[in-house]
Amino acid sequence: MKKLDTGEKSTWCPGCPNSLILEGVKQALAKRTNVAIVSGIGCHAKIFDYLNLPGLNSIHGRVLPTCLGLKIGNPNLNVVGFSGDGDAYQEGISHLVHAARYNSDFKYLVHNNQVFALTVGQPTATTEIGFKDKTTMPFGSKIVPLNPIKLMLACGASFVARVFADIKQVRWILNEAFKHKGFAFVEIIQPCITFHPDTGYKEKTYSLEKTGHNKRDLKAAFRKADEFDYNTVKKIPLGIFYQEKRETFEEKYPQLVKLKKKEISWRNIKR
Amino acid sequence: MKLSILFGGKAGLGPNILGSILGEALVKQGYYVFYSRDYQSLIRGGHNFNVLTFSDKPVYSNETKIDILVALDENTVRIHKKDLKKRAEIIKGSHVNMYFAGALFKVLGLDFKILKNRLKSLRNFEENLKSAKKGYIEEKERYEIKRLKRKKLTFMNGTQGIAHGAIRSGLDVYYAYPMTPATPLLGILAQKQIEHNYLVLEPENEIAVINAAVGSAITGAKSMLGTSGGGFDLMTETLSMCGMVGIPLVIYLAQRPGPGTGVPTYTRQGDLNDARHAGHGEFPRIVLAPGNPIEAAELTSEAFYFSQKYKIPCIVLSDKHLAESFYTFTRKPRIKRSNKSTKLIKYTSYEHFKKGVSTEDAKKVRKGVEERLKKNKKIKKEAEKFRMFKIYGNKKSKNLIIGWGSTKGAILDAIKGLNCKFLQVLYIEPFSIKIKKHLKRAKNVVVVENNSTSQLSDVIAEKTGFLIKNKILKYDARPFFGEELNKLIRKKLK
Repeated sequence: MKKLDTGEKSTWCPGCPNSLILEGVKQALAKRTNVAIVSGIGCHAKIFDYLNLPGLNSIHGRVLPTCLGLKIGNPNLNVVGFSGDGDAYQEGISHLVHAARYNSDFKYLVHNNQVFALTVGQPTATTEIGFKDKTTMPFGSKIVPLNPIKLMLACGASFVARVFADIKQVRWILNEAFKHKGFAFVEIIQPCITFHPDTGYKEKTYSLEKTGHNKRDLKAAFRKADEFDYNTVKKIPLGIFYQEKRETFEEKYPQLVKLKKKEISWRNIKR
Repeated sequence: MKLSILFGGKAGLGPNILGSILGEALVKQGYYVFYSRDYQSLIRGGHNFNVLTFSDKPVYSNETKIDILVALDENTVRIHKKDLKKRAEIIKGSHVNMYFAGALFKVLGLDFKILKNRLKSLRNFEENLKSAKKGYIEEKERYEIKRLKRKKLTFMNGTQGIAHGAIRSGLDVYYAYPMTPATPLLGILAQKQIEHNYLVLEPENEIAVINAAVGSAITGAKSMLGTSGGGFDLMTETLSMCGMVGIPLVIYLAQRPGPGTGVPTYTRQGDLNDARHAGHGEFPRIVLAPGNPIEAAELTSEAFYFSQKYKIPCIVLSDKHLAESFYTFTRKPRIKRSNKSTKLIKYTSYEHFKKGVSTEDAKKVRKGVEERLKKNKKIKKEAEKFRMFKIYGNKKSKNLIIGWGSTKGAILDAIKGLNCKFLQVLYIEPFSIKIKKHLKRAKNVVVVENNSTSQLSDVIAEKTGFLIKNKILKYDARPFFGEELNKLIRKKLK
């Protein structure tokens, strides 16, 4: 695991679950080669500084097209994108819809803390009604939250999952995501200990795998997605909601197929 | 001799193909052809027209008056009656477009065999040949356009120039979202991607375009993207990031009249300042302005060279007039080779002290800024080895005409016979210090631009301290005509 350390000191709040995500990611990536990472803007993006892996700490909301560009630049890369809920569900939501369509073979982790934390606590697209903050919603958030799992299912994503910010769960789902050929959407519920703490979230979670959910059944996936509306916390299903085998973006372009076959990137092509 | 032919009709009737067929045939016969398109933002109906001017001597713009009018509908005759010369020929009637091709070949006294051979490369050969023959038989010969003996001429438009330059420079990936007048490049490059082994993609929007291009660029691929003003505006946040991170990108920016949606299918040089200043923060960039298709190819290759060497965004600034007009040349473009220099390492949009690790430390922040300034200096120095500007006309004349981009053709045609020196600026950023010398030597300085605020004058004032008062500006979304500009220049020099 040491080779994945950059030696940079963590600037997350002490006790932030992001540290658990970092550890889970490290464990899942420890033996993988040819990895490139991309992050957006927000607390999640600090993970870029703590992982000794190449890639880009980009601007707000543009993780997905950057990942696509990396895969097109070199289809042999194992690309992992990191976003926050502001990144994925607001600033860059158009890219999310299309990433599901492209089905490019990269993995996408959304650290959803249901709040803009690095800008001191404003509501995001997945914040519950009634949430109060000092800067924008002093009388409580009034807007219905978005259900990203349902959105991704509706967009035709070939791999849709949710886990809790926990080392084991993150390690497991990232490994599952790598086994999947195509775009893997993984949401990580990561309660913000400062601006959106866990008020009984963890107790309400349960495993889809252990309760016999059929991940090939899209209708069942939608029913499971409906169990948690990000507004009221009754049940929070975790695991793989849906998985489908589908041709990847990289398999559709003969130019990329060639690069993959020869295990090279455009950089190796002299012109 | 010089003749101008106007092809007009509703969109969908096919005036474009007529112009191309005749243009190619005339170039093969050894004539200089200049051919421009005027079309509306609609797919069927309306009124589109193309003007083809040809001569045995170089010609780079259209004439205002027409010798032959090819009217694919009645409307064309009504609209263009005022543009006709006294004894102009009108070819009209209710025919299919290849009938007009045949008729035109006859009027000009061109060999029918040339047309027949060209028709072979199109669909519905038999049908087209029949119509063309009918037109040829029914028309009378009026001119005798003989084959001229000279070296083979090159005939292409600005878009083809950019495509040629990009492919020959080793393009790996091209990203674009459709927007006139940058769309034709997307079309040409998409067609040739398998043959030349590169990839073309149209992502979901312009923001995705530039960010995907960034992703590919950091793997070491030669990445390029294309857009017009509105799309470029959407990209500017990422453009700024490229400056911070150090990303090699070639950006094809084809201008059209703004602000807003503006006049989408027409032309203007309104985005010079936008290209120079877009993006927050201070960072190095290059802005190049080709004035014809040959320069479009050459400057695209130089954009690849500089972007790869210095890891910066390079903007190649064109416009609708250059992108879609065809020009004739006696030579082929010279391409500057560039090596792929980027490796996949850690990159960050934050200020950083070593590659990819962000910093807020005052000393390190200052150093980061100074690194970018240093880059700017190096680029400036090396650019002086390139042709940052060109001089035409009477090199000793005290009358100096200055222009950039697509006005070049009309200026070259306009200064024929005048005591004028024409200085064409190709490198806008960086700007050659040597230009100051030419400004100082001149008695009369006139700037010619296809915009309303004379943005090049601003650049010159900023870079040299030289204030230019004499300006010829056209901003009706149409390009200059050679003789129109000739009159305007003469007035200014009186």
